[in-house]
Amino acid sequence: MALLRRPLLLLLIVTHQFLQLWIAFGSVNEEGQKQEEFYEELLLKPLPDRKVLTHFHFQSSAPPTSNGRHHHLFPKAISQLVQKFRVKEMELSFTQGRWNYESWGGFDSIPSSNAKPPGVELWAVFDVPQHLIDPLWKNLTHTLSGLFCASINFLESSTAYSAPEWSFPLASGSLRYGTLPREAVCTENITPWLKLLPCRDKAGISTLLDRPSIYRGFYHSQRLHLTSTGSGSEGMDLGIMLEQTLTVVLQPISQRASLVRDSEKHIQPSWSLSSIFGKQVSGKCVLAETSNVYLLLDRGLVAELKQLHKENEKSIENSLTSENFWTNPSFELSAKPDRIFIEECSLLSKNSSVLYKFEVEKYSEFEPFDLGITWKIPIVWLCQQAPLHASRFLTGSGNERGAIAISLKSTQTTEGFMGAHSNDERCELRVDVFQVVPWYVKVYFHSLQVFVDQQPKAVSDIIEKIHISPSKDKVSPGVMELVLKLPCSMSSTALTIEFDKGFLHIDEYPPDANQGFDIPSAIVSFPNFHASMVFLESDSLNKSPLLSKFQEWSHVMSYTEVLLVPLTTPDFSMPYNVITITCTVFALYFGSLLNALRRRVAEEERFLKDKSAKKTGQLPLLLSKLSAKLRGRRSEPPHSSPVSSSFINSKLVFKVILIAGLAVCWQYYFL
Amino acid sequence: METFNNSKPVLVLLLLPCLLLYSLISFNSSSVEAAMHTNNWAVLVCTSRFWFNYRHMANTLSLYRTVKRLGIPDERIILMLADDMACNTRNKYPAQVFNNENHRLNLYGDNVEVDYRGYEVTVENFLRVLTGRHETAVPRSKRLLSDEGSHILLYMTGHGGDEFLKFQDSEELQSHDLADAVKQMKEKHRFKELLIMVDTCQAATLFNQLQSPGVLAIGSSMKGENSYSHHLDSDVGVSVVDRFTYYTLAFFERLNIYDNASLSSLFSSYNPSWLMSTAYYRKDLYKRNLEEVPVTNFFGSVMETIHTDAAYKALSRRNSGRFEAQMSLDSVHHAERRTLMKVNDQEETHDVNPEGNKQPLQGEEGASKCPWSTFCNKFRKGENVDSLVNYGLVTMIPLLVIPTWLVR
Repeated sequence: MALLRRPLLLLLIVTHQFLQLWIAFGSVNEEGQKQEEFYEELLLKPLPDRKVLTHFHFQSSAPPTSNGRHHHLFPKAISQLVQKFRVKEMELSFTQGRWNYESWGGFDSIPSSNAKPPGVELWAVFDVPQHLIDPLWKNLTHTLSGLFCASINFLESSTAYSAPEWSFPLASGSLRYGTLPREAVCTENITPWLKLLPCRDKAGISTLLDRPSIYRGFYHSQRLHLTSTGSGSEGMDLGIMLEQTLTVVLQPISQRASLVRDSEKHIQPSWSLSSIFGKQVSGKCVLAETSNVYLLLDRGLVAELKQLHKENEKSIENSLTSENFWTNPSFELSAKPDRIFIEECSLLSKNSSVLYKFEVEKYSEFEPFDLGITWKIPIVWLCQQAPLHASRFLTGSGNERGAIAISLKSTQTTEGFMGAHSNDERCELRVDVFQVVPWYVKVYFHSLQVFVDQQPKAVSDIIEKIHISPSKDKVSPGVMELVLKLPCSMSSTALTIEFDKGFLHIDEYPPDANQGFDIPSAIVSFPNFHASMVFLESDSLNKSPLLSKFQEWSHVMSYTEVLLVPLTTPDFSMPYNVITITCTVFALYFGSLLNALRRRVAEEERFLKDKSAKKTGQLPLLLSKLSAKLRGRRSEPPHSSPVSSSFINSKLVFKVILIAGLAVCWQYYFL
Repeated sequence: METFNNSKPVLVLLLLPCLLLYSLISFNSSSVEAAMHTNNWAVLVCTSRFWFNYRHMANTLSLYRTVKRLGIPDERIILMLADDMACNTRNKYPAQVFNNENHRLNLYGDNVEVDYRGYEVTVENFLRVLTGRHETAVPRSKRLLSDEGSHILLYMTGHGGDEFLKFQDSEELQSHDLADAVKQMKEKHRFKELLIMVDTCQAATLFNQLQSPGVLAIGSSMKGENSYSHHLDSDVGVSVVDRFTYYTLAFFERLNIYDNASLSSLFSSYNPSWLMSTAYYRKDLYKRNLEEVPVTNFFGSVMETIHTDAAYKALSRRNSGRFEAQMSLDSVHHAERRTLMKVNDQEETHDVNPEGNKQPLQGEEGASKCPWSTFCNKFRKGENVDSLVNYGLVTMIPLLVIPTWLVR
């Protein structure tokens, strides 16, 4: 037995050693080579107008030296697309609804980077020489249209996209920008988007994405942003970072809506994940590095809560930051947060927002994660606004000409920021405006006028820099990029520019041309202002892409409304009807009139009689008699028959002559 | 020995044509093999825009769901929807489309792939899909990549009239266009069998110009008839499905992927009193007996599975061909069984709607009536002098020919 045992032990030791070695080697391999990573996160935020903002953030990354063209987690379709079209950076968004800048805020990084214009917006930066960019863009639009089941290929036409000079920070002539304001967004667009995730919508946070609930929302924007890093030289694979976000604004259905008393009407509706999505999260996606849910209370709300606490109980001064804040007198959370982050007080505002972190990892199928919030007291607050509120409208009437007006109104909440910048002698607010107009809206750039506080101002005083590429008919759209320097003290500014409406070729009208044509949203950005949220204890936040995204400095940006321009539309049924009926009436009138005036019946008959007597020989007479006999009627001599019968006779004569001729030919030829 | 050497080139010369002949024959046989039913495709087109045409989209999506359920994968379905109904602002049920007022089934589901939508649904794009003449940039998911062994289901619904079908209320597809496209498809070996199913008013007129062999066409109504919607959903606010499609679905809901219901049982299931129009089918271009063709021939999908005995050893092409041949033999057996089953099934349907399948047949008979009887009829009526004279002249020709013959 002992003899037997020995080699067995030896074998065990050897295998153990081998295993250890293997593991060590594996770990070295892992450390030496960065792996593909995937993160899933969800941010929830109550909004002042009784709505809830849900923001899904998925991030996949493939390091530059991944295993050739093979990927573990990263979607192959995207990596192939990046390789093939040499895309340096690209953003594609599908949006329905309009972000309500006034009540949902315009200063945070969520509205600045996730509030998008309605329809499809696509921009891409290519890493190729100038002359190759346009063909690549065209191919890219087709590929994306196949990938996302949308008609992005309409951006292929040179009338649909433009090349902004300096409106985008990264642009150096290699960026192309296009929008399709009327593109529908529905299930068929989100399904391929979800298929890019390693767990699709089968596990993890993405299981919440119940299609009817999403599309019932007031606003939803589905975004895909990819950045490729690396030298881009031949044979070298690029590192790609893919960021997929879905921002949905939903109205929670409050169960007690009918029972609410007047005093309770101002209480925010209580909601939970299961009440807004109809689903719960049962565990994380196992392929994800982290899977977190955050609840964000923004600065205005926290300030309001603090105010309330001061009034009610003076002792709970410090409770906002304490660990048991989640069961405070104003609201109650259904799950215990794993961590609480407080924003670092910035220079611009005294208040800081609070972030609760929930780790989905701890929950399972038997104990699903269902975050809910129940409000106990009514509360009213405001979200932080962008320095200026931008809106755009059309003036003028008729189908010939009109004007586009962009109005910028100062928001009260920005007074504080103005103060921060007013150290200088002349306080100035820089505003960038980027506007694309389709070619059939023919803008006269010389007619640009600026009004500050309803007073007309010289254009050169306000506009620091301007770049215009005028539209060419059926070739390219008009692009206008402006940099404005506005005095901080102003309360409103308006820019107006006049245009003529062009005519389209009959083939170019869409089937529902009567609905009007869209002028895409203008982009208004404030380069002096940066949206960022820096949280304390930020060292532990490095693992969360969503929060590191918040910490990035990004321009405060907003999109204006899409304008609907009614153009003259062809309606061929109308003129057709008119022409037809007029002609009929005229023909009837004149025909009968002429007939009555000119016709002499007796003379006509006599004339015909003579003619028929002269022309008709014996044969047609006989034939007609024959036919009459065949028909079993009394034979009628042709001269007594009216005009029609003579017509038949002449036809008959022709036919008979034809046959006779044939017969003669036959005889002659064959005999 | 020398003579033998001399005869060698002669032998070679003799053998050469034989070889050529052999290769020719073998080539022919291989092409026959290739023309075996290899895959299934579906092109489903909804040509109507605007909310009140909700039912057309529901029709198309119902068919989409059915063919997907019966096994055609998404990559082989080209779905064209002219408008967005599911996320239309007028839709009370966002991201959902129903074809029945009981709302039991959401046709839009979670996994719908629309290949052409909105303004992309034009006659041009439709004909491009059929004929395969795309720009090079068009992705594969938007192409009909069928081959000579493909069975294609082409379903169209919208508003139509005598020999035309409207696209988005601004363009028309005429029966000539359709026939030309199908002819071109045939010449390019893009299909083996094609089933065209059309649910519009006067759908039968759309098939008038078809000439290509292997085409089977079925329409919801004859010339001069309208196709009606089935019922109104007062929650959605519009009619949700057309009658023809509704009863087509009613037929398919009873089936699963393994069923052997024949095409003739599908065609005989249409009851004119339910449809309020006469379903018409044109089968003169289709050679096979409809009672032997299962509906899954077009609505389902074949899966080419090749069994290998040895692992890691690729079979040569010839071997795989043999397996296909075996499979076809199996399918013949299936077909026999199926006809037996179908006899019963058909009797049932006959009981239910005896006049259902008679009316279209009568129409066909009318066209092929004896010319003599029509002549007699006309003679008896004695109203058409012109035609009478024509007949007389025609009879004159033989009279003329016989004397000349005799004289010679």
